[in-house]
Amino acid sequence: MAPPGNSLRVFPMSRYRIDASDLQFASEFLANPVGYHSPGLQRVLNRMRGAAWAYKYVLVIEERHARWRLGKMPAKRGSAIEIVEGVVYTDLIEAERDIFRRRWRDLTGQDIDHALFKAQTGN
Amino acid sequence: MLPIVAYTDKLTVAPGESLTVMAGSFGAREYRADLRRIIQGDTNPDGPGYRDEVVQLDLGGVRPAVRKGFHPGSCVIVPGRGMLAGLKDFTLAAVMQPTLLDGRERSVIALPGFARIGIDENDRVFAEAMGQRLVARSRIVAGHWHIVSLSFSTKEQHLILTVSNEDDAASEDLLPENVVAHAEVAVCSADEILIAATRGDDGRPTGFFDGKIDRPALFEAVMPHDVLRRLLADFTRLSRMRHLRAAWDFSRSMTTQTICDISPFQLHGKIHNAPARAMTGWIWRGQELDWKKRPDLYSAIHFHSTDVYDVAWEPDFTFVLPQDLKSGVYAVRLVPDGDEEASYYCVFALRPPRERPTGNTVAFLFPTCSYLAYANHRLGMDVPGTEIGMGRAVELDRHHMFLQTNPGIGFSVYETHDDGSGVFHTSRLRPIVDLQPKVKSFLGGFGSNVWQFNADTHILGWLDAIGQEYDVITDEDLHAEGLQLLSRYNVIITGTHPEYHTHNMIAALQGFTDRGGRLMYLGGNGFYWVVSFNEDMPGIMECRRSEAGIRPWEPGHGQFYHAFTGEYGGLWRRNGRPPNHLCGVGMTSQGFDICEPYYLMPAANNDRAAFIFEGVSTSDKIGDFGLAGGGAAGLEVDRADASQGTPAHALVLASSTRHTDIYLMTPEDLLDPTPDWSGTQAEIIRADLTFFETPGGGAVFSTGSIAWAGSMAWNRYDNEIAQITSNVLRRFNDPQAFTMPEASEKGR
Repeated sequence: MAPPGNSLRVFPMSRYRIDASDLQFASEFLANPVGYHSPGLQRVLNRMRGAAWAYKYVLVIEERHARWRLGKMPAKRGSAIEIVEGVVYTDLIEAERDIFRRRWRDLTGQDIDHALFKAQTGN
Repeated sequence: MLPIVAYTDKLTVAPGESLTVMAGSFGAREYRADLRRIIQGDTNPDGPGYRDEVVQLDLGGVRPAVRKGFHPGSCVIVPGRGMLAGLKDFTLAAVMQPTLLDGRERSVIALPGFARIGIDENDRVFAEAMGQRLVARSRIVAGHWHIVSLSFSTKEQHLILTVSNEDDAASEDLLPENVVAHAEVAVCSADEILIAATRGDDGRPTGFFDGKIDRPALFEAVMPHDVLRRLLADFTRLSRMRHLRAAWDFSRSMTTQTICDISPFQLHGKIHNAPARAMTGWIWRGQELDWKKRPDLYSAIHFHSTDVYDVAWEPDFTFVLPQDLKSGVYAVRLVPDGDEEASYYCVFALRPPRERPTGNTVAFLFPTCSYLAYANHRLGMDVPGTEIGMGRAVELDRHHMFLQTNPGIGFSVYETHDDGSGVFHTSRLRPIVDLQPKVKSFLGGFGSNVWQFNADTHILGWLDAIGQEYDVITDEDLHAEGLQLLSRYNVIITGTHPEYHTHNMIAALQGFTDRGGRLMYLGGNGFYWVVSFNEDMPGIMECRRSEAGIRPWEPGHGQFYHAFTGEYGGLWRRNGRPPNHLCGVGMTSQGFDICEPYYLMPAANNDRAAFIFEGVSTSDKIGDFGLAGGGAAGLEVDRADASQGTPAHALVLASSTRHTDIYLMTPEDLLDPTPDWSGTQAEIIRADLTFFETPGGGAVFSTGSIAWAGSMAWNRYDNEIAQITSNVLRRFNDPQAFTMPEASEKGR
């Protein structure tokens, strides 16, 4: 409970569920990960980047402006940040695409590239 | 990670004065130190390049790096002064409202080694005395007021623990729970009383309580619970009660560290690690909202196991700043184990001499209040939505990894304590790991992603690039010396995000421009929040985010007035000093992904602004480049608004005309939320480049954008944004008075 007279911060939990109808927004993101997005893509990103801590990927800097490791941020303050072994980025845009693909898989169980290919070819 | 971190005893020091360095090892075995002037701290390969210069000053050779650690947690410590030895019959009591029960044992009030009341790991109140431990049967509830007491009767030879839940229905009689145990008489060995903690085996306070405590008291008699309850509710009667040994009214000496005993024994104490005072107490029911008018309603202190004021590390070394060293931003650089890459920078300002002007007519106002507000902030780590605001993944630099591992370093005023309540206090008497050059941040936009101090080095680098001599003065200097200090200068230049100001500071800046001074506000979301210093606690700052503003928490009902000064907390625009009045623009929106150019407005052709665009060849847009999000307008942006105090004759020279939909409306203007208040839709979301003269011959130039300086630094400071800024500086540094436009000119 929120103690009276003390303010507890409330984080919005997303009710949005990503499904196949969002594939168009996945294409949009992969083409241009940073910058202007359609309202539909923004809603997908809000779901991925919001309060659901299970999907809180972070970029751990190994060398500023040059090299990043993929990490997973724990929900509890002071807990260890988990480093995802074997994942190294040398380009922030590519890192964004990779994190998007991981989150798509986490949230839908689908491989985004496969889903896009299937949607385009009907196979 | 950081193998060594450190802090200095001051963030501002004058030539000839001494500075003391406190360093703590987090893996380093030894270190050496040197002194450096910081010129440009951003390491972005697309930027002008990192630059500092070493100062030839011997700071000693290699020193051992000593592990010192952090010891957060606040409490009250009352020295017994030999007055507790004779206790026989007694009652120890307090009113308390726990706000965090998380399976850890906590102390409410303790005479260490003799008697103690606390909450155990199962959320049950317990008491210890005479070798006995009494535990209440019922669990207590966070957020409820309870009265707890422990009595001992020598005649009956029993201990009584009593707990009552004060949040029961008011019309019902309370049903306190009693726990009784037989005990033998013991001599009181304690010579101190701790409130909200007890004394650990290592001699430090421990067992910290999270929550509020109100009117703790000690009697030399057994007090029936109903009598105790009536007495605690009335400080006047309580102070005359002849069995009273001590009772602490936390509303006395509210603005200090002192805790006052209202008994005739005057067993006064002191707070440790700056818990929040001026907090609503047990009998507050909304009768008054200002503690100054009814301090008796604000007799609670909110303690946190995460509070930090002064980490009180042993000094490593002290040195004197040379008399001939020019004013500037410097750092004591500590190189651990010969590893320059792992160096830690203790940044400070070398201000001009106190009694003698340097002759420099330009000063950079080093925004220590804003650095303190953000000190060790964890926005990208604690707040999930930060990534939405950034429009990309959070980057964690080495200092962030250090913060994650060491939350005991203390928080910024952007965090909440572990109980969810807002952090009101931030201190410079601890390492501030984000007050360093080179470090990346969360909010600096796609590109350099630097924030506050490191972003401000884009301005320092520009001053160096154009060969401009300047002094550096800090917010603390301005607070202490006011207009007398500013009067040395023609021009004051701000940082990129001077968001936090005390009343003294904002009044001095207003007085400066009123009297002919020239202000270059090269940032965004400036002059936004009210903050206060404490005369009894140097180095700490208070911020209560009342009512509105983009804010990470609220101070809680009835707790909107600062404890340090009694000022009403919140936005300066709600306190009679809107930023628009001082600098023509005020906060309108924020987004931390990408930035935009400004488009010239018709006022850019006004003769009054001709000096600003001299030599600038552009058709319609400026600043379509930059290290912060790729444009000069963005991150946090301000708009001109006559309704908020923008002078009628101010010229809006250029404006950004769209932003991404991450940029949303500030809550103080978003009275009725509808989905059209976003960057691609709402014209009100823009940065306004603004200029105006003052009747006293002064002038103000405001960029209304944090990203501006990131564009100044583009192409090694060779671009139209840097040119415009240089043009303004040149004219502003010319003592010839500006003249107000004729009435017919106004508003054009």
